[in-house]
Parts: sequence; structure tokens; C-alpha cells
Amino acid sequence: MHFEKRRANTKTEIPTSSMPDIIFMLLLFFMVTTTMREVEVLVNFKLPEAKAIEKIENKRLVSYIWVGNDQRIQINDSIVKMEEIENIMYNKAVDLPNIIVSLRVDQKSDMGFVTDIQQELRKASCLRINYSAMVKI
Amino acid sequence: MIKKKKIPEATIPTASMADIAFLLLLFFLVATVIDVDTGLGLTLPEINDKPVEIEISKDRMAAVLVNENGDVLIDGSVIPVFQIKDMLKARIASKNNLPSNKKMIISLKTDRKTVYNIYIAALDQIKLAFFEVRDEYSNGKYGKKYNDLNEEQQKDVKEVVPIIISIAEPEKVNK
Repeated sequence: MHFEKRRANTKTEIPTSSMPDIIFMLLLFFMVTTTMREVEVLVNFKLPEAKAIEKIENKRLVSYIWVGNDQRIQINDSIVKMEEIENIMYNKAVDLPNIIVSLRVDQKSDMGFVTDIQQELRKASCLRINYSAMVKI
Repeated sequence: MIKKKKIPEATIPTASMADIAFLLLLFFLVATVIDVDTGLGLTLPEINDKPVEIEISKDRMAAVLVNENGDVLIDGSVIPVFQIKDMLKARIASKNNLPSNKKMIISLKTDRKTVYNIYIAALDQIKLAFFEVRDEYSNGKYGKKYNDLNEEQQKDVKEVVPIIISIAEPEKVNK
């Protein structure tokens, strides 16, 4: 006797025609939620941890100063000297009057060094600062 | 007899569309960052060549001193860093009903040799103390936490519990 194999007549392919649409949606999501990498960090640092953390809502106002574990200071894309901070930051503050300076300082730095930077910032009239810190759980 | 020329179907191949989109997606994944800026905000005082001396009554002020070994001194007593919050909370809360020129001022002072990490821990504790007093006040008045209040209520709480942290003027040192 001959048995006919029972097999459904439906197609077994996964439809891929909507794949580009899905990928484009993902793409759009990433384009909207992220910001471009602007600078390359040249110093090594490990941020301290804190609990009473606030988010900076307006990313456009933020300007960064990095301080590495070897006490090098980086602003924008270059390593700068302590004496140059005032000038650079003053120019930034002229362009953006309510600038927020985010200090990304290595957790083992000396306070004296940080205080010196703060004094330079005060001279440059960049008064709003933010000590960057990781969330402590 | 003239045969009709067969016109080939004019379609754009879309099979590679997904690949192109994937490439674009990968580019954005690599070239962008998502990190949110989090940290402890602070406003520095304006620079002044001749600092004006204002007398502040003793009970309005709490001086937090952190030395190079990480010891914390508040009002003459040495305490561990994580107790700063509990020390200050009661004192901040006791000033809730006073006018704005009698609110608590916390002054934070460090040595030049103090480690940054400990300074941040101390500042964190001070901020936490203020935040918790704010939360308690808004819980008592509005039944919600400070962050869940609307703007007007937040403004009211801010007026009752203002965050005043003074970073002491650094002392001149001979290098």
C-alpha cells in the first residue's frame, strides 16, 4: 500500500520583507537616544562613588575636565597645564554663559590639586560645577 | 507576424536592504555614547579679592573638617564619614520653620592632602542629609517624596529646606 505523506501545504519560509523596517526602527532609536562621541579621553581615571546623585538634564551645557591618576588635566582633546585652564574655560563661558563644568577626577587625587582647578574655574567665572560620580548601590 | 517583446519586470532588489540598514545601525552603535552624566552638583562662590566678612551665629553653622587621614571633625568631635548624615539631619530639620536667613549652613573644609574620594564621600553625606530632610518634610506636608512633587510644591520645599553648602576658601600654602 502506498501512503501519502501528510504535509501541510503552507510555506515554511520566514518572511524577511519587513526586516529592513525593523532594523530601521532600531537605527532610529539609537540615533535619537544617543549622542556622538566627541572626544577621546587620554587620561586614566576611576570615578568615585556617591549616593546623592543628580542627573544633568541639559547635555549641551556640559563641558568636561578630566584629571587622571597621574595628575594630568585634559580639556577637549588635549592635555593642558594648570595655568591654561582659566583662559580656555573663560572662552567657553563667554560662548555658553550658564556652562556646567563636569569634573571627572580620579578618586585617588589630592584635594589640593582639585582645589587649584576650582580656583582657576572661579577666576574664569565658571561657577556651576559637577563632581562626576558613579551611582553607589 | 510581429512578436511582442516581453518587458522584464522592473523591480528594485530589496534583499540587501536589511544588510545596509544593519551596517548603518552598527555605525551608530560604535560612534555614539549613551552614558548619562551623573554627579554631585555644586555652585562655586564668585572670586573676590577682598572677602567680606559676615558674622554668622554659631548654631547656624556646622563645620565639617576632613583631614588627610580621612578623619572627620564636626563641632569638635571626631566621627566616621558615614555618620555625618545622621549628625546633620537633626540640625537641618530643626531650622525648617525659621526664616531663610537663619537656615543651616554646612561648611566643608579639607586638607590639601585629603584624598578626593573621601571628600566626595563627605559631600555625598551632606547632600544626603539635605535630601532626606527634604523628603521627610514633603512626606509630612504632601504625602509624597520630593521627586514626585510638582514644580510648585518642589519650590516650596526648596524654600523651606535650602541646600547651602559652603566650600571653605583654600588657605595659602608655601609650596
